[in-house]
Amino acid sequence: MNRALALFLLLATSLSCAPGVSDAPEVNGRRYFGALRAPVGQQLRFNLGTEPEVRDPGVMSGVPDGRFARMVFEGLTVADPVTLEPRPGQAYRWERSDDGLVYTFHLRAGVRWSDGTALTARDFLWSWRRVLTPATASRNASLFYSIVGAEAFHKGRTTDATSLGLAAPDDSTFVVRLAQPTAYFLMLTTFYPFMPVPQQAIEQHGLRWTLQPNLVGNGPFRWTYWRQNDRYEFVPSESYWDRANVRLERVVAYTVDDLNTSTNLYKSGAIDWNPSGYIPSQYLGYMKPYADYRTGRYQGTYFYSLNTTRAPLNDVRVRRALNLAIDRESIARDLLKGSREAWGRVTPAGYPGYAGPAQVKYDPARARQWLAEAGFPGGKGFPRIAILFNTSEDHRRIAEAIQAMWKRDLGIDVELTNQEWGSYLQSTTALQYDVARRSWIGDYLDPNTFLQILTSGDGNNRSGWANPRYDALIQRAARTLDPAVRFAVLAEAESIALDEAPFLPIYHYFTTELVKPWVRGIHQTALDVHLLTRVWIDHDWRQHEPIAEGNGR
Amino acid sequence: MTTFILRRVLLMVPTLLVIATLTFVLMRLAPGGPFMSEKDIPAKAKQELLHRYGLDRPLHEQYLAFLGGAARLEFGPSYKYPDRQVREIILQGFAVSAELGGWALLLSLIVGIPVGTIAAVRQNQPTDFAAMTLALAGVSVPNFVLGPVLVLIFSLTLLWLPAALWTGPESRILPVLALCVSYVAYIARLTRAGMLEVLRQDYIRTARAKGLSERVVVVKHALKLGILPVISYLGPAAARIIMGSIVIEQIFAIPGLGRYLVIGAVNRDYTLVMGVVLFYASFLLVLNLLVDLAYSWLDPRVELA
Repeated sequence: MNRALALFLLLATSLSCAPGVSDAPEVNGRRYFGALRAPVGQQLRFNLGTEPEVRDPGVMSGVPDGRFARMVFEGLTVADPVTLEPRPGQAYRWERSDDGLVYTFHLRAGVRWSDGTALTARDFLWSWRRVLTPATASRNASLFYSIVGAEAFHKGRTTDATSLGLAAPDDSTFVVRLAQPTAYFLMLTTFYPFMPVPQQAIEQHGLRWTLQPNLVGNGPFRWTYWRQNDRYEFVPSESYWDRANVRLERVVAYTVDDLNTSTNLYKSGAIDWNPSGYIPSQYLGYMKPYADYRTGRYQGTYFYSLNTTRAPLNDVRVRRALNLAIDRESIARDLLKGSREAWGRVTPAGYPGYAGPAQVKYDPARARQWLAEAGFPGGKGFPRIAILFNTSEDHRRIAEAIQAMWKRDLGIDVELTNQEWGSYLQSTTALQYDVARRSWIGDYLDPNTFLQILTSGDGNNRSGWANPRYDALIQRAARTLDPAVRFAVLAEAESIALDEAPFLPIYHYFTTELVKPWVRGIHQTALDVHLLTRVWIDHDWRQHEPIAEGNGR
Repeated sequence: MTTFILRRVLLMVPTLLVIATLTFVLMRLAPGGPFMSEKDIPAKAKQELLHRYGLDRPLHEQYLAFLGGAARLEFGPSYKYPDRQVREIILQGFAVSAELGGWALLLSLIVGIPVGTIAAVRQNQPTDFAAMTLALAGVSVPNFVLGPVLVLIFSLTLLWLPAALWTGPESRILPVLALCVSYVAYIARLTRAGMLEVLRQDYIRTARAKGLSERVVVVKHALKLGILPVISYLGPAAARIIMGSIVIEQIFAIPGLGRYLVIGAVNRDYTLVMGVVLFYASFLLVLNLLVDLAYSWLDPRVELA
């Protein structure tokens, strides 16, 4: 017994005074989350996220897939690491015609693929055409629809590829003709579906061109190692035009999908960057004091979608009542511990020049009025409806809170239904639900990426809501070149959507990432997009970190 | 012996056929399909995908095509990871799972059998109580609790061992420990029970009467029969420890096979699920056959018929 006690004491003391035990090391008065051991040399180790499904930029759709694409491929333009504005990439300059319909891109002299062959405007022509070919089964083809002939070609109404508004008059000139002046078109060219892919490798290897050693890229890094569900490794690509400015010598990207594991790896110092979305939500409320925790608005909103084809939700007054009876502030403050921002609009914040309509605010009295007008005073006679969400503790807690609010403020009873992912997708796409938890993340920095999905018949609408005036406004905005006028039209459309409430907005997403203090050049962005081209490791970071004012941060 | 093996192998065919059919039917009954996502896929693109994988053909044709493929160990490409064949995914994942499970199983036997034997020899003495209390604790603590606790102590607090990942030899220690503890405990209990029964047998009394040392009696005479319960447990245990380490693979980010069953099922990746289920089933059947063979070898009273 005495020996057991001694052993226990030994263990307890070793736990409390071993090196590295201090939970939050402090440097220059700033506290950091976990071990502070910088990697050797110019090496970056991070969690890429869930294993990418495909490494084909024309077909992929996930965030980790996109991270791979931005390392190995490069489009005509690249997103600025801070502002996300389009900057020269494979094209060093471009012109837009006065009517906004023709873009002419000029490629840099001597751009090459990683196998040494020259990259020409024909590669872009071939790659864009490939995305629009139905057999490619790209999930992002609709982003190309502003190009002349693109929609008809993609939907199979014509098989004539020459009808597309794409041309390569010579090796270094790529001309794009648009059907309507799309204000955000240049921004789109930073997105991965617009990246060039190697025609020869694809024709030779078919679907397996994205495996090693078949894959040929044109981006800042070359892919050197892969084991599925384990890791990717990269080195700088010697054929990249800006090789001189790529400072990292090696990049290791692990594919860890478990949030706890990813955060543990960061805390123990095995990775230098834990990307957004990989901190367990229950920790978020406690991360604020750490200097290496970065958070900012992310271009995404969390909302409840109402099935407007079913009674009583086909009554706009019922939808308004439900919308006004959600106390978003209390969900964000009490339930989510301030890790999210209460949000009463369909579109997120952060589009320069777009203010959007006023947010929907919690107003139980007005909500009761609407419900009474719809024929259910005090909730009497209101049929039982259900909130559907995909199985997750976070979604359940929010659904329970809203269930309680609707009971308290409207006197209606709501059931909660959870389904695993595949069944949930089936139910929401087939409109087999009453109220469903959903979210939307923007593809590009423009309110259109949100407002487009509410147009009638859009595949992502999934609420059955259709409003001809709304559709006409979205159409008009697409034809408008003047930014101020266009935003005003979009704001008008959004105010219709808020008033008719097919979507009940709940909160605004935030990026939540951990970046070790020696990593330079990774910035928080609204699209959670990061360009690693110029990232470097600062081994003298302790000297460069700003001295924090006072202690006890 | 040869006819026994041959008959058992032949019997595997209908068993696997039933398993394959059940899996096929259950997967198709599950709501949703392989090409659904939160973001809409245009109808045309979806149609192309269904065509590419033959999912637009009548169900019975798909079933026959799948059976024909399975017979040739060809499951086709995964839907979720379209550039990879299911076979490649299984082989790569299995190599890792087999290493993880192999170490854990070996450690379970190396620790479990001696502990169980000592407990049996010292029945109802403090050593026995201590060993069996620990074993009970080991069986009771699930590995999804033990794994994170080990990480908290050895990786996050002491910074001695990696918190996860499958890289150097040191990365094996925590997952193997977390995986094997419950097996150590179970094997110790089985060994103890088996040994207690054997130690009371007449031939053991004879051996003792001959004047053999206790050590020789236990190790040479008793253990061979005493571990029979362990042997029969070993078949399903090996299959479970090698294939069923899903939780450990998740906690330690190990690129093993177990998680593909979950990924496949969630994404309705029919070919991946089929491949993994049939692989697992065959693995289990083969292990059971090996157990039966080992039985007859250890216990002359067992006849293979």
